Amino acid sequence: MRLAVAIAVLALTVTAADAQRRAAPDTGPRNPFADNQAAIDEGRGLFNTTCTGCHGANGAAGEFGPGLAIPGRSYARTTDSQIFDAIKNGITGTPMPAHAGKLNDDQVWKVAAYVKGLRGTAIDAPSPGDVAAGEAVFRGKGQCGSCHMVKGQGSIVGPDLTNLASLRKTNSIIDALTKEQHRVYGPGGAQPHLLTPLSVWPVVRVTTADGKTMRGVLRNEDSFSLQVMGLDQQLHLYDRSKVKVVYEPKGLMPSDYDKKLSKDEFNNLLAYLTRLGTLPQPASAAVKMPGGPERD
Amino acid sequence: MGLKHALLPSLLLAAAVPSLVVAQDLLKPNPKDWLTYSGQYHAQRHSALKQITAANVGRLQAKWVYHMTGQKDLEAVPIIANGVMYVSQYNRIDALDARSGNIIWQYQRQPIATGAQRGTGFWNNKLYVTTSDKHLLALDARNGSVLWDVAVHDGLQLAGQAPLIAKGKLIVSGNQPHGFIQAYDADTGQYLWSWTPVPGADDPKALASWGGQKPDGMPIWVSGSFDPDLNLIYYGTGQPEPQWAGEGRPGDNLYSDCIVALDVDTGKLKWAYQNTPHDTHDYDSLEMPVLVNGNWKGKPRKMLLQANRNGFYYVLDRTNGEFLQATQFVKKVDWLKGWDGGKPIPDPAHDPSVKGTTTCPSTAGATNWPSPTYDPALHMFYFVAQEGCGINLRDTARNYAGTGYLESPEEGKTWQLFTRALDAFTGKKVWDYEQVTSHHYGPGLMSTAGGVLFSPEEFGQFTALDSKTGKVLWHFNTGDVITASPVSYSVDGKQYVAVISSSNVFSFGLPDGGAK
Repeated sequence: MRLAVAIAVLALTVTAADAQRRAAPDTGPRNPFADNQAAIDEGRGLFNTTCTGCHGANGAAGEFGPGLAIPGRSYARTTDSQIFDAIKNGITGTPMPAHAGKLNDDQVWKVAAYVKGLRGTAIDAPSPGDVAAGEAVFRGKGQCGSCHMVKGQGSIVGPDLTNLASLRKTNSIIDALTKEQHRVYGPGGAQPHLLTPLSVWPVVRVTTADGKTMRGVLRNEDSFSLQVMGLDQQLHLYDRSKVKVVYEPKGLMPSDYDKKLSKDEFNNLLAYLTRLGTLPQPASAAVKMPGGPERD
Repeated sequence: MGLKHALLPSLLLAAAVPSLVVAQDLLKPNPKDWLTYSGQYHAQRHSALKQITAANVGRLQAKWVYHMTGQKDLEAVPIIANGVMYVSQYNRIDALDARSGNIIWQYQRQPIATGAQRGTGFWNNKLYVTTSDKHLLALDARNGSVLWDVAVHDGLQLAGQAPLIAKGKLIVSGNQPHGFIQAYDADTGQYLWSWTPVPGADDPKALASWGGQKPDGMPIWVSGSFDPDLNLIYYGTGQPEPQWAGEGRPGDNLYSDCIVALDVDTGKLKWAYQNTPHDTHDYDSLEMPVLVNGNWKGKPRKMLLQANRNGFYYVLDRTNGEFLQATQFVKKVDWLKGWDGGKPIPDPAHDPSVKGTTTCPSTAGATNWPSPTYDPALHMFYFVAQEGCGINLRDTARNYAGTGYLESPEEGKTWQLFTRALDAFTGKKVWDYEQVTSHHYGPGLMSTAGGVLFSPEEFGQFTALDSKTGKVLWHFNTGDVITASPVSYSVDGKQYVAVISSSNVFSFGLPDGGAK
């Protein structure tokens, strides 16, 4: 009985602390190097010689720490002074070490300025251009809708792009349009929680016992089963032991939009794509929904 | 059911079950318990329980799931003693009824911490907690009460490895400021001894292997094994620093990337075997050293087996560290030019470079810390093999360049994990099981006397293989990433197999009505 009370008290304490953190005003100093590109570049250099062992080069996610350049928005440290504090003094209860003694305060501010710049996605600074013309390219000449859906219009074979600009950085969108191999930063850490096929969209040809072959996009698989979105826009669920699977080396996404579109068409398409989604709420550590765990 | 109502009967049950475990039990543990990280001192991870067999494992079913609040990616191996399961994290232990998954008590030191903490130890009615604020605690296993609380000697932070309790000593280790092992009296918490792979002035030969540079690095973050007859504990050591730039530390860099044998009473080094001299690829030797007695080329030997991150499977004589054999166990290994007897000669052409150097195996290793297992009846060694190469980069050609390098998979190529069975003494591959979609580290393994090898997969499949053939017998999707190793235990005559999947502990057994 006492344990139950203790747990309840603990839960309340944590909730109060969360609320306090979210409500905390930004009373600390602003980053003195916030808009200083030379200092931010210096911060990048320091980051890439100090932080990559855990956080990965350019914040792309490393072996032990979160990727700081990922488009996720659940930042525990939101203000300049909070980021400075995390770097200088470490984060208690996590493997994040203090860097006081290794970096001086100016260097910490520069790294902090670089780290803050890694945040955000395309929608924070949409690309200039004619958005309506860009949508016309998307639906017409670009044939994007033959695989992708936006707000219920298009095909279900490829990734839905309704919220693209809230999920991806502009550079990542350009890479997707122009490079056969483009990397999207995942959540990072030693153990990625996204299954590879969900982010890569590999193409497979599956032959069933009756000799029929289905071509489609692999949505998931394991040692025992496959989940395939067919080019027929039907979902196919297979037992691995009952089918033959060929993995195609190339994906379906064309990577020559910079060649097949004019410069204006490309820029307009980018203007459209970098506005798909909703501007996120101000960053917060967590959102607590009503009707939470306060049962019993 | 409310938490209060769930707790009450469990507390009564705990009080009724005696749970005193003394040193003798750790020497010959009852197979119904799982008392140490590796099950037993020899680290074979083989359960003698055989109610679950290759013939009936197809009927295995989930018996319960326990959610460990506020956690994810748990790497802990649960401890089970007399029907109670203990699951650890930094600052925390949850005690569960191992039959039902109902919580009995929880110890939580503030703050709530997450991280790669890999298990606790159980001895003389005590459990041990590693804290995030450089303390070491003993809890009363009956109710989680703190029995003692000591600051870690020299103010160091312990790594997440499960403690090893040997001869009444609590043996722990860590990484900073460089690798170290410490021993404490497991009853009182009194500090006893330390050992570090950093050679001192009293070891001029090892010191000279750094070419004048100050020895550094060599973290120790996985638990070891123990031979009570030889009075030796066996641990692996990590990579030298700077990790990716070797030119400032010409020489072998002892005792980095070594398997070491220490006297359990004094912490003195008895012998060391270096798997990877002058490492520039983070091929640390922290893979579990497994102790096996058997005939080696017609002669009885006390052996130490290890599948190493550098791509070789080693057989050593554990009495003196004599090199007996190394067998390449992945398709491609190119970090070395060849062998000088039992000593590999690294190839400097594969050192990391600014433009990137492809090297096999990758820095993630041909295998890594997830535990191997040894079946003493079949003389088979099972482990998780990772096929694939990597690109090693450095951001500057500057000598003594810092940590500006990363483990880097090649564009468009993924690594692939296999559950791999070797003939333990010849090192020859017997069978392979491809873990589809598993690409990185993977969980550890457990073999059983029932002829079933339990092999969890990275993205949540918990799979049972035939130990002899590698054929799939059963699988269950736990729904989240598995990075821990499975265990087996028995309560009231019923065998269970448990594994932690991210924040959930799963326990499986045969359908009620018993084994058929």
